[in-house]
Amino acid sequence: MNILIPDSWLKKFLITKATPEQLIKYLSLCGPSIERVSKDLDPVYDVEITTNRPDAMSVFGIAREASVILPRFGIKAELIDDPHKIDTKLETKHLRPTDIKQIHIETNSDLNPRWTSIIVDNVYATDSPIWLQDLLNKAGVRPINTIVDVTNYLMIAFGQPCHAFDYDRIGKKNGIPWMKLRASKKGEKLKTLDGKSHTLWEDDIVIEDGTGKLMDLCGIMGGESSSITNNTKTIVLFTQNYEPVHIRKTMMKLSHRTDAGSLFEKGIDSELVLPALLLGIELLQEIAGGKIASLITDIYPKPYKPITILCTRTKLNTYLGTSLETKQIKDILVSLGLMPTIKDSTIEVIVPSFRRDIEIDVDIIEEVARIYGYHTIKNRLPDGEMPVVIENPTLHWEEEIKVRLRDWGYTETYTYSMLSKQQMDQWQLDCTKAYKIENPLSNEWVYMRPTLVPSVISSVKQNMYHKESLKLFELSIIYEYREQNLPLERPVLCVAWSGHKFLEAKGLAQAIFDIFGISFPETLETYGSINEIHDQSITILNLYIDRLVNTASAKRSYTPMPKYPSIMEDLAFIVPEKFAIGPLMAALKSTDSLIQSVTLLDVHENVRTLHIVYQDREKNLTSEDVTPIRNKLITLAKQSFGVTLKG
Amino acid sequence: MTDTIASASSQLIGALLSAKDDAITTIAESDKPIDLLRIEVLGPKSDFANFTKQMKSIAPADRQAVGVVINEVKNAIEEALVQTRHPELGTQNSPWFDVTMPGILPPVGHLHIVTQAIMEITDIFNKIGFTRVRHPEVDWDYYAFESLNMPANHPARDEWETFFIDYPGKPSFAKASARRGKIVLTPHTSNGQVREMEKGKLPIRMINIAKCYRRQIDVSHTPMFHQFEGLYIDKDVSISHLKGVFDYFVKQFYGPDRTIRLRPFHFQFTEPSFEVDINCGICLGKSMLPNGQKCRLCKSGWLEMAGSGMVHPNVLKAGGIDPNVYSGFAFGWGVERAYMMKNNTKIDDIRLIYNNDIRFLEQF
Repeated sequence: MNILIPDSWLKKFLITKATPEQLIKYLSLCGPSIERVSKDLDPVYDVEITTNRPDAMSVFGIAREASVILPRFGIKAELIDDPHKIDTKLETKHLRPTDIKQIHIETNSDLNPRWTSIIVDNVYATDSPIWLQDLLNKAGVRPINTIVDVTNYLMIAFGQPCHAFDYDRIGKKNGIPWMKLRASKKGEKLKTLDGKSHTLWEDDIVIEDGTGKLMDLCGIMGGESSSITNNTKTIVLFTQNYEPVHIRKTMMKLSHRTDAGSLFEKGIDSELVLPALLLGIELLQEIAGGKIASLITDIYPKPYKPITILCTRTKLNTYLGTSLETKQIKDILVSLGLMPTIKDSTIEVIVPSFRRDIEIDVDIIEEVARIYGYHTIKNRLPDGEMPVVIENPTLHWEEEIKVRLRDWGYTETYTYSMLSKQQMDQWQLDCTKAYKIENPLSNEWVYMRPTLVPSVISSVKQNMYHKESLKLFELSIIYEYREQNLPLERPVLCVAWSGHKFLEAKGLAQAIFDIFGISFPETLETYGSINEIHDQSITILNLYIDRLVNTASAKRSYTPMPKYPSIMEDLAFIVPEKFAIGPLMAALKSTDSLIQSVTLLDVHENVRTLHIVYQDREKNLTSEDVTPIRNKLITLAKQSFGVTLKG
Repeated sequence: MTDTIASASSQLIGALLSAKDDAITTIAESDKPIDLLRIEVLGPKSDFANFTKQMKSIAPADRQAVGVVINEVKNAIEEALVQTRHPELGTQNSPWFDVTMPGILPPVGHLHIVTQAIMEITDIFNKIGFTRVRHPEVDWDYYAFESLNMPANHPARDEWETFFIDYPGKPSFAKASARRGKIVLTPHTSNGQVREMEKGKLPIRMINIAKCYRRQIDVSHTPMFHQFEGLYIDKDVSISHLKGVFDYFVKQFYGPDRTIRLRPFHFQFTEPSFEVDINCGICLGKSMLPNGQKCRLCKSGWLEMAGSGMVHPNVLKAGGIDPNVYSGFAFGWGVERAYMMKNNTKIDDIRLIYNNDIRFLEQF
């Protein structure tokens, strides 16, 4: 969460001569990062505070961090006006109500661990003094009127949201204004002061008035029915805290986030609730002239009991990679308000109410380490034992294939893994057997793709006008459906050509099979497919890399080079229409063991010229050896395939 | 008489040798085609042929000596002829060839920059014993969140704009927090942490690189991107080691004058947690340029780079590792971002990376 803090406001809680540059640099190194600073005369810091530190989400909270960090860099800094140091008992006693107005209050400590409120009479909802308007403006909050501004001041200064109800507008029961805090029931309706109507689910925290009407969406926004108007004379000033998970769920369910809600959902300090109310009363009287019209109501059945956390010094030293002196550790922890007891082998701290994020030993280590300074810790490469790991062969193969394709002139694409409903339908992919995104970002990206083909084809189409002849590929994971389970994530290679390139596709597949040491199968089926998309003039080769990896054979064995020369000759055959040459070549090849290879040399009209290599590993071949084999070939071609020798 | 004979043979030898010199000069000075030149210097009407015919008039005893000379002369002339055919050997008279014509290229393809970055990153980490592994990209909520110390409804989950999966037979909301319940598109590669620990082998030095998904799209976000996750678990692993590994990586990947710093941060699955910054490649962390102007790229001298931290004890426990015996660190970093931060790429919009425009792809 980011908050804006004007320098002048910060200095209300911090006496220091640190420059804005020093604050930015040192706070970022040891505490919350100041991401930006305005160039105003009174610079405004934009501070990022992590979710675990609601105690720092306020002007005072940052002042407290700065008062710990700056002295580490030799800059004096003193924290003043700490609300935790207010003697609440004494202050409460000093409040003298001039009138006692009645109100009925009922709450639920599971939802609302602490409730404090007071009635203030004779207040004027007018414009706030300039200094207050100025601070609020700089902190990014629009000044409204004295009463609302006081509540916002408390939230920004201390991180304690606060609310004011118009006492006279609270629904009565038996003639008495009535407030009952409870969990909402499903279907209840509430209009918040921004004019929005909400229909509630169950378990939102709300306050019901004497007429049974809901008057507050607790922790998020007050109801319209009891909101402050220009005619407001008497208010109920109200500070409190809530059970965080309820607040969070309500904001999510209603899609309604507010600054107050963002603080409450992180869990705020119950010990700050009363001091904040007291400071609010003081400020209200100062700028809006109110008179106290009730005693303080403080419902806090389970006060905070400090907890103790233990950490071994060995563990601290291990994490830091160095050994700290007792005094070093103690100084740091004391400055943070974590009361330490340090022994030879252990550190024990008592966690104050505002640091409930500290729960286990490593939390203490973090506090010591960041104030000690990460920048002072030395860089060291791991020096422990090396793990013995067998690398995943698929990763190696994928890289090999990608590099080969690059070197063969193919260009790699990366397309999104999601398909639209339209694409699924167009490619006849079963939507009921696919992983569908529940909360898609757009209609384009809804189903996790069970194939790369639609995406790769889109890439080809998109680029057809930029380049005449495209050779694109993608090697990515597809998400194959498995009943009641995670998808089977399979790496797949998809190569695409513009134009009819069946033989290129087949040749590429053959070359890839060869790299994997797998003999090229008669049909690709189990490994993938080659398709020509006729209406779009695109050719696609699709190969399952996992299948190839599983059948790969890396073994390459040596065959001695032949000692005797081979004999080569070309045979031209006249073939009938629609003649498939493949089976003929295979048949010729297996006719005699002396035939080393049969390759297709040339295709011209109805003539197919085959190149035959004869090789005997034992002796020099003569034409007497070859002639009978050749005759066998010609006979076979004629008898089994109806193909005759040309000429 | 023998003198006369002897003198006849030596005269012929002299004539042959001068015929050789003449022929070589002719070859050197002529720009005739080689076939015509050969006829001119070695053909039937050439000096060489004329002198060869006089062999008959030489006494048989001297013929062998003259024969040797004839052969030498012939070879020398042949060699001179051959040399004129190769411009790089004897340049003067080679036929003109336009060497400014474009060369014939081997096939030129392109690997996508994500692949290039992954290969480079894998290689750098490999050298310090970190092995690349692969874990699911679509995973149980348990591995993506729950086992990483983020129970259901934890506010920290908001930081990831997570995509959830609706699949046939998905358990009802009430059961969804169970270990096998919700399926998510992994919003980070950290789901690999507990999965790697579950393999049951220590120490661990892994680098997990995979696709990740988040509900975001703007100049610096795409709904699909890649992360690399480092995980090191052993006895006595310290923040020192984390800094050492990052420092090593940035020097290898970006250059020897780059360095890192840690800033305190918060992640549920690490404690302490850090954001890792790298000093700006333009101003090298000074935030000022040599000419006194403020650096425009970084403003503060540092660029945010990755999230990291010491593995949270609850995460170690989820992976079956005793946090009182072992410690470790983890980090996660966007591959695209890492690549774009290299000074020379000048890619100002991450969405370009997944547009797949051939005019973009062919530039890398």
